[in-house]
Amino acid sequence: MNAWKEFSKGLIKENPITVCLLGMCPALAISTSTYNALGMGVSVIFVLLCSNILVSLLKKWIPKNVRIPCFVVIIATFVTIVDLVVHAFQPALHKSLGIFIPLIVVNCIILGRAEAFASKKSVWHSIMDALGMGLGFTIVLAIVGTFREFLGNGTVTIFQMGETMVKFNSLDDSFAKTIIAILPPGGFISLGIFAAIVNKLQKKKA
Amino acid sequence: VPTVVIKSDGEDTWADLAPLSGDPLEADVEELKTRVRNAGVVGLGGATFPSHVKLSPPPKKSIDTFILNGCECEPFLTADHRLMVEEPDGVLMGMLIGMRILNVKTGFIGIEGNKPDAIKTMEKTLERMRKQKDLAGIDITVAELPVKYPQGAEKQLIRALLRREVPSGGLPMDVGALVHNVGTVFGMYQAVVEGRPLIERVLTASGSGMKKPGNYKVRIGMLVKDLLSEIGGFADDAKILKLIMGGPMMGLAQFTDEVPVIKSTSGILAFTDKEIGAVREMSCIRCGNCLTVCPMNLNPTLLARISKMSAYEHPESENCLDCIECGCCAFECPSAIPLVQHIRRAKGRIIAMRKKAG
Amino acid sequence: MADLFKVTSSPHVHAKATTPRIMWEVFFALVPAAAVAVYAFGLESVRVILITTAACVALEALYQKLAGGKVTAMDGSAALTGLLLALNLPPTAPWWLCLAGAIIAVIIAKALFGGLGQNIFNPALTARVFLLISFPAQMTRWMIPSQAGDMAKSFLGFNTNFIDHGGEVIKEAAKITVGQVDIVTAASPLGLLKEQGAAALGQLEWWHLAVGHLTNGSLGEISAAALLAGGVYLIARRIISWHIPVSFLGTMAVFATITHAVDPARYAGFEFHLAAGGAMLGAFFMATDYVTSPMYPLGKIVFGCGCGALTMIIRLWGGYPEGVSFAILLMNALTPLIDRYATEKKFGFKKEPKEET
Repeated sequence: MNAWKEFSKGLIKENPITVCLLGMCPALAISTSTYNALGMGVSVIFVLLCSNILVSLLKKWIPKNVRIPCFVVIIATFVTIVDLVVHAFQPALHKSLGIFIPLIVVNCIILGRAEAFASKKSVWHSIMDALGMGLGFTIVLAIVGTFREFLGNGTVTIFQMGETMVKFNSLDDSFAKTIIAILPPGGFISLGIFAAIVNKLQKKKA
Repeated sequence: VPTVVIKSDGEDTWADLAPLSGDPLEADVEELKTRVRNAGVVGLGGATFPSHVKLSPPPKKSIDTFILNGCECEPFLTADHRLMVEEPDGVLMGMLIGMRILNVKTGFIGIEGNKPDAIKTMEKTLERMRKQKDLAGIDITVAELPVKYPQGAEKQLIRALLRREVPSGGLPMDVGALVHNVGTVFGMYQAVVEGRPLIERVLTASGSGMKKPGNYKVRIGMLVKDLLSEIGGFADDAKILKLIMGGPMMGLAQFTDEVPVIKSTSGILAFTDKEIGAVREMSCIRCGNCLTVCPMNLNPTLLARISKMSAYEHPESENCLDCIECGCCAFECPSAIPLVQHIRRAKGRIIAMRKKAG
Repeated sequence: MADLFKVTSSPHVHAKATTPRIMWEVFFALVPAAAVAVYAFGLESVRVILITTAACVALEALYQKLAGGKVTAMDGSAALTGLLLALNLPPTAPWWLCLAGAIIAVIIAKALFGGLGQNIFNPALTARVFLLISFPAQMTRWMIPSQAGDMAKSFLGFNTNFIDHGGEVIKEAAKITVGQVDIVTAASPLGLLKEQGAAALGQLEWWHLAVGHLTNGSLGEISAAALLAGGVYLIARRIISWHIPVSFLGTMAVFATITHAVDPARYAGFEFHLAAGGAMLGAFFMATDYVTSPMYPLGKIVFGCGCGALTMIIRLWGGYPEGVSFAILLMNALTPLIDRYATEKKFGFKKEPKEET
């Protein structure tokens, strides 16, 4: 199978959030700002990539009946790495992502790709798949996060380290903030509308 | 193919009739039943169930009350009303014959309150008959009932008169009652006392599109077209939208007037835009009107939804079979949803499913 | 062969009531309340009502057009939602607030669920709650009613400089003159009640609230009498049944009477609670919405009692000064459950609703 296809399918056609509807929990909780979304996305890409590679390398030796626990161990290892790295170099991000970093272990996307793809295909294809899915996840998260943050806070935060922030403020001070966009109901509605629009456009193409 | 060919001699005369000799109230029950059967008397209230069968309930079911249905089944129809006013003796005699066949001593005549002349006539006739004949032990009450549709439906009638509810899936005989239409018992009277078979019935021709509305005695089998030309036809300049055999709530709309009058034709209605408005179907707004007016206390909007989605595993779906198709729900529905149609469809499906399941 | 006649299934006659007629009649029953609002707040009310109602109808038509189905926006339900939503907004609501509310009510709470008859939650209330959570400041900017002052210049609601107080209490009324407009702002009676207890109500009598004298609030909260009149009209016309309003207001009255007897300084009496806030609007017009309330009489009473109880609990001990919207929305969620169990005994059944087969 064409390696490029493996990569590109994760972006739109089999996008983990809008089409497969996997990994909704972090998607809803984290997409309250662009910075959080990008941070989570990068972490997920890293874990997905590494675990896909390792699972694909070890696929001949992992016994069938205990494969899920084995995958979880592998994924947990990489999540721990990510956790410690983020904590060390991006404490602000670590604080705002909070418990959702350890929760990457049970993120359906990663476990799902390991089970459905990496344990069956070659390492090269697994790498492409991981990158595609991770990127698709990140893009959706970033779009929804930007939208929510802008509506709810009037800002778009791209990067934050201690005191320095790369932030775009809304121009007008009297811009009214739609607080509900940052709250959980806003998350559900934004994600729902986004997924509906994407699916509608996709149907039109097909 | 076995066939019967009837050749008319062109003369409109009666054959030699053989009326019953003697007092019908003393006659042999089997003899009475045979006469009723041979005369082809069926329920003229609309169901056309053979009367002699109805008068022969299984021995396990004991009947204690005979109810005469003097409530007009539907609005616009007045045939039963006129029959009671013009032939009270025959009607009452027919009722007594029925009671004799069933060996029942208690009887009710239920008449709606908007027919005071019928009530008076029946009461007077009853009084007179008590004096003339020996009606010892027979207790007949003329009961005035509120004017409500569908008071003429037998389950509702039994509840109104006897305070007994016919169980779901059951028949009136399960609560010890039998209900007969006024026209039916008159037919029984004619069969026994006059020896005449059931070849004609009273029907109401009405509607804003009818030139000469009224009650007419019509021979069964006459084409509606011919009947209309006999009674003056449609009103001038009337645009007839619907021609209905029966009443407005439960009758059958016809494509053409070239259909015969049959035993169940209680009325011929010619409707114009005076009765029929343009209605636009909308979605159910859950107003609850339908379930408020349902005489069987069903939930028509739920049943209609079950029917639309064919969701027959829903626990309420078997209630469809309790629907008497009176049309109250669809009449009240502000969204003009054809509820009765949906429930009818569900009924058919459920019965078919049950049959298949064996 | 003569022309063929029309053939349909029975019944062949139909009652006069149609859904659009019902919707417009409820709309009409709200006119007295809207009139009082216009009299009290002047052109501001007209602005809010017009924008909201027009936006609701237009959005519904637009959505239906885009979705490809029949456009039924003029059947009265969207207009009714618009008017109800407008009566929930303060007179100082900016145009974009009205528009946002319309979008939430008609698109999110109604069209996305399937349109007329398919929504679970009351659209006007959903929009109001969304707006309250999203824009608490704008939604609680009250005005003291001025007797038909010249508000023409602030018609669009831009560039006015109000004091923003969220849900807090301002002891003195501040008078601000901007341009040619005089606006006096203060806290709403329920707000006062929440923060300071019944003692702070001072000279505010319940009948003041009933007729809209000296009080403020959203457009639909200032005249309980007008709403009551509209509600009684609807009951008399048999468009709504008495079950929900009576059980709703009755439960509220019971709660209020008991708590007032226990601690009169802290808790107001039942006349105050019934006349204040959205109780009348909620009991007669919101809770009785056909689509989101139970269909059987027993269910309606359960629903009404639940609404009344929740309203009082939120008002007395909850975090918000007004609990009607939340109470009704919570009970809306329970409506399908209530409908399953609070049914009527069917004809011909003994104790269980199921005959043995």
